[in-house]
Amino acid sequence: MTNLPSIKPDTMRSVRELFGIDSDLQVPAFSQRDEYVPEIDEAYRFNPDVTLAILAGFTRNRRVMVQGLHGTGKSTHIEQVAARLNWPCLRVNLDGHISRLDLVGKDAIVVRDGVQVTEFQEGIVPWSLQRPVALIFDEYDAGRPDVMFVIQRILERDGSFSLLDQNRVIHPHPYFRLFATANTVGLGNMSGMYQGTQVLNHAQIDRWNIVAKLDYLDANEEAAIVLARVPEKNTEKGRELIAAMVSVANLTRKGFAAGDISTLMSPRTVITWAENCEIFRNPALAFRLSFLNKCDETERSTVAEYYQRCFGEELDESWLRESYTV
Amino acid sequence: MSSNVQQQARRQQQVEELCAATIRALSGQPDLHFRGKRLYQGEHRLSMHAPHHRIDTAVAPFADCRAAADGMALRLLYSDAELHRAHSPEKPVERLVFELLEQLRVETLVPAQLGGMAANLEQRFVQWSQDFHRSGHTEGSSGILLYTVAQMCWARLNARQVLEETEDFIESTRFSLATSMGTALAGLRHSRHDQAAYIPHAKAIAKLVDNIIEAQRAGQSADDDTNKDDGEETQQGFALLLEFDQDGDDDDRFASARSGISKAFGENRQGYTVYTTAYDREVTAAGLVRDAQLEEFRQRLDSGIAEQGVNVQRVARQLAAVLTTPQSDSWRYGEEEGRIDGRRLAQLVSSPTERRLFYQERQRPVADCVVSLLVDCSGSMRYQNEPVAMLADCLIRALDMVGASSELLGFTTNAWNGGKPYKEWVRQGRPPYPGRLNETCHMVFKEADRGWRRTRRDIAALLKGNLFREGIDGEAVDWACNRLLARSESRKILLVISDGCPADSATNLTNDAYYLDNHLKEVLARRERQGEVDILGLGVGLDLSPFYRHCLATDMSQVLDNHLFEEIVQLIGHRKRR
Repeated sequence: MTNLPSIKPDTMRSVRELFGIDSDLQVPAFSQRDEYVPEIDEAYRFNPDVTLAILAGFTRNRRVMVQGLHGTGKSTHIEQVAARLNWPCLRVNLDGHISRLDLVGKDAIVVRDGVQVTEFQEGIVPWSLQRPVALIFDEYDAGRPDVMFVIQRILERDGSFSLLDQNRVIHPHPYFRLFATANTVGLGNMSGMYQGTQVLNHAQIDRWNIVAKLDYLDANEEAAIVLARVPEKNTEKGRELIAAMVSVANLTRKGFAAGDISTLMSPRTVITWAENCEIFRNPALAFRLSFLNKCDETERSTVAEYYQRCFGEELDESWLRESYTV
Repeated sequence: MSSNVQQQARRQQQVEELCAATIRALSGQPDLHFRGKRLYQGEHRLSMHAPHHRIDTAVAPFADCRAAADGMALRLLYSDAELHRAHSPEKPVERLVFELLEQLRVETLVPAQLGGMAANLEQRFVQWSQDFHRSGHTEGSSGILLYTVAQMCWARLNARQVLEETEDFIESTRFSLATSMGTALAGLRHSRHDQAAYIPHAKAIAKLVDNIIEAQRAGQSADDDTNKDDGEETQQGFALLLEFDQDGDDDDRFASARSGISKAFGENRQGYTVYTTAYDREVTAAGLVRDAQLEEFRQRLDSGIAEQGVNVQRVARQLAAVLTTPQSDSWRYGEEEGRIDGRRLAQLVSSPTERRLFYQERQRPVADCVVSLLVDCSGSMRYQNEPVAMLADCLIRALDMVGASSELLGFTTNAWNGGKPYKEWVRQGRPPYPGRLNETCHMVFKEADRGWRRTRRDIAALLKGNLFREGIDGEAVDWACNRLLARSESRKILLVISDGCPADSATNLTNDAYYLDNHLKEVLARRERQGEVDILGLGVGLDLSPFYRHCLATDMSQVLDNHLFEEIVQLIGHRKRR
C-alpha cells in the first residue's frame, strides 16, 4: 500500500482525451491508482458543464456543490471524474444524526500493550484533510445546519482546522478537495419530494465556490446514457423502445411540475426499467414493476395516459380498462 | 334516466381530468384545465376550433377525447396563437379552413418517440372523415368541397394516400381542385415546420374554398329553389361547423355549455346591482321550525343515517389525512434519545444500563381549519334535502372528530317571484335592468363555534321543505366567504352543495337569463384570485364545472356510500382537480 499523504498528482492529462469533452484544458492527475480511487465505469457519460465545474474543483482547488433532482447521478459524476484522474476519493453520506464527534473525532478507549488507554481518534474530516483525498459529502442538505458549521473553516481554500480536543491545528494537504451533492439548494423541501432535508445556513452555502446544477438531461442524451447502461438494447428496435421510455419519463416530469402526479421518473428509474425489460421481456410489465407501483393509486390512470401516448398501448391501470370492467 | 345523466357527468369529469393532465404534461404548462368542456388557460379560454377535434367530452369515446387532447397539446407546443389569430381570416368559411389547416400542420409535427399519440391522431382523423362522410354531410356541394380539401391537405401533409373508402367519391372534386390548389398544396408540406411560411399557403387554400362556395351560392340563388334537394340537413351540418364564429369573441372570460353572457350584466356599469336590500334577512334556521317538528325531523334524519351505513370514523380518518398538519403540543418522556431529562439522572447513576433518560417533543396532527357547507335551498333542492341533510350531518360529525370547525349555511329567498322588491319595482314604474329583484334569506343552521352535539337539532331544520324557494348563488357565496374570513383558522374551505345554476324568476325576467350566472362566476373568479378561501362545488346530479374550478358531480338519489365520502375528501384535498 502506498503512503497516501506523500503522493501527489504527477501527470497532466487532456480533458478531451479523458472525458470526451471539447476543451483544450489539461488537468493534473495521479499516475498510480490507490485503493481509495473509485472504479472506472467505462459506460459513464459526462455532462460537459458539470464535468468542467468538477474539474475546476480538482485543478483550482474550488469547493464544488452539485445540486439536482434525485437519480441524476450527481455523486457518481464526481466519483467518475475522480476515478479517471486516479484521485483518491471518499464518500460520506450525511444524515440528521451525524454529529460533530463523528466528523471531528472523539476519545476512544483502545487496548495498547495489554492496557486500556484513552486515545483521540480522528474523525473523517481531519483524516481526509491531511491526505490528497477528494471528500464528498453526499446528501449535504440532510446534515443538520448547526453540525455543518464544523466544516465552515475548511470550506475556505486554505482554511486550517483546529482540533479543540487536542489543541492542534491541521493545515489542509495541498491536494485535499471537498465536494458536496444535494437535492435542494438548501432552501428546504419545497416540492414535498425530499423529506428530511434541512434548510441550510446561507453563510455556509455562500462559501461553496461553485454550485453546479445537474438536472434531467436532454432526451437524446438520456437515451444514450440508458443505452450505455443496458447495451443489450443497442439495436434498431431497442433504440426506439428507449426513446419512447425516455419520453414517458419526460411526461412524468412535466406532470410532476404541473402537480398532477406526485412521483416522477428519474434517469435511474429509466435505467432500471430498461434492465427490467431485459428480465421480463415485456415493457408494460417492467414499467409497472419499476415505476407504476410506486405511484399513488389515484395517479396511476394519469401515468397510464402518458404511457399510451408514447407506446400506443393500454396498461391495465388505464381508465379505459377500468371503466370497462366496472 | 336522471342517474344516467349523473353517471355521464361523472364520466365527463374523469375524462376531462385525464385529458387535461395529459395536455399539461405534454405542453409543460401547468395552468391548463377544462371548464364546461372547453380548455382554459387560467381564466382565459383557448380558442381551438379544428372541426375534427370538436367533441363532446361527455359522450364521445375516450379515444376521441384523447386525440382531441393530443391535438390541443400540439397546438400549444408548436403553434403561435398570436400569429395564428393575427392572420386568421374574417369570413367564416375561410376561417374554418384556416383553422383546420393549422391543426393539420401541427399534427404532422408529433415527435417520433410519441408513437401512441401519432396513432391516436391518425385514428381520429380517419374516424372523423368516416363519420362526416357517412352522416351525409358530403352530399351537399360545400360539404364535399370541404371534405375533399381536408382529405387532400391531410394526405399531402402526412405524405400518404387519401382515405381509401372515399377515394373514388372525391375523385372528381379532387381533380378539379388539383390545378388551382397545386402550388399552395406543395407549399404546405414544404413549410410545415415554419408557421409563418405556412400561413400564406393556408390562406390561399382558404380563399380558394371560400371563392368556390361563394360562386356556388350565387349560382344556387340564381336558379333559386331548383336546388333545394341539396338537403336542409347538410346545410345544417355545415352551419354547425361554422358555428364557432358566432360563439363570441375568443377573449371572453365566461362562456360554457349551460351558461351565457348577460347583456344586463355587461351593460350595467356597476356590474351586479341589488334593487333593494331592505327585505333581506339572515336568520337562524332552527328558529323557523317548531320545536316539536324539529325533534321529529331529527329522528327521521337519525334513522335515515342509520340505514345508510356510513362509516363516519373512516371519513374522519380520511379527512384527518387531508386537513391536519403536525404540530408539537407536549413532551414525551422515557425516550431513548432526545434531550436529557434531569429528573432521571439519579436513575442513570443507580442503573447505568437503563437508557430511557431522554424526552422529546410530541407531534400531534392538528386541524387548523374551518369548513363551511353552503347548501343551495332553491326549490328543486327540496327533493334532495334528505340525502343532503344526511351528507351534511355525517360530514359535520367527521369534521368534529378531526377537530376542525364546521359551519352549515343555506341560502334561499323569502318569497317566490320577487316578493316585496318586485312590487316596489312595479310601483316605481318598472325602470330597466333593476338588478337582483328578490329578498334573499341567508340561513345559519350551525355556527362554527358550536359543536355537532349542541346543534344536532338545528341541522335537522334542513328537512323543512317549505324553506326552499329560489336561489341567488353569487351573493350567498360572498356572504359565506365573508363569514369564513372573520374566522381565525388558517385554512378556510367552502363547500357549496347545489343542484343547478342560480335561478330567480323575477330577476331573470327583468334582467336576462344569465344575469345571476355571471354574477356567480364573477364572485368565484374574484375569490379564487384572492385565494383566501378554497371554494369547492358539489353538484347534486349536475356538473358544476362551468362555475367552479374544483367540483364534483354526485349522485344522491341512491345510498350515500363510503365511496361518495371518499370522493368528497379527495375533492377537499384537491386530489381530483379540474
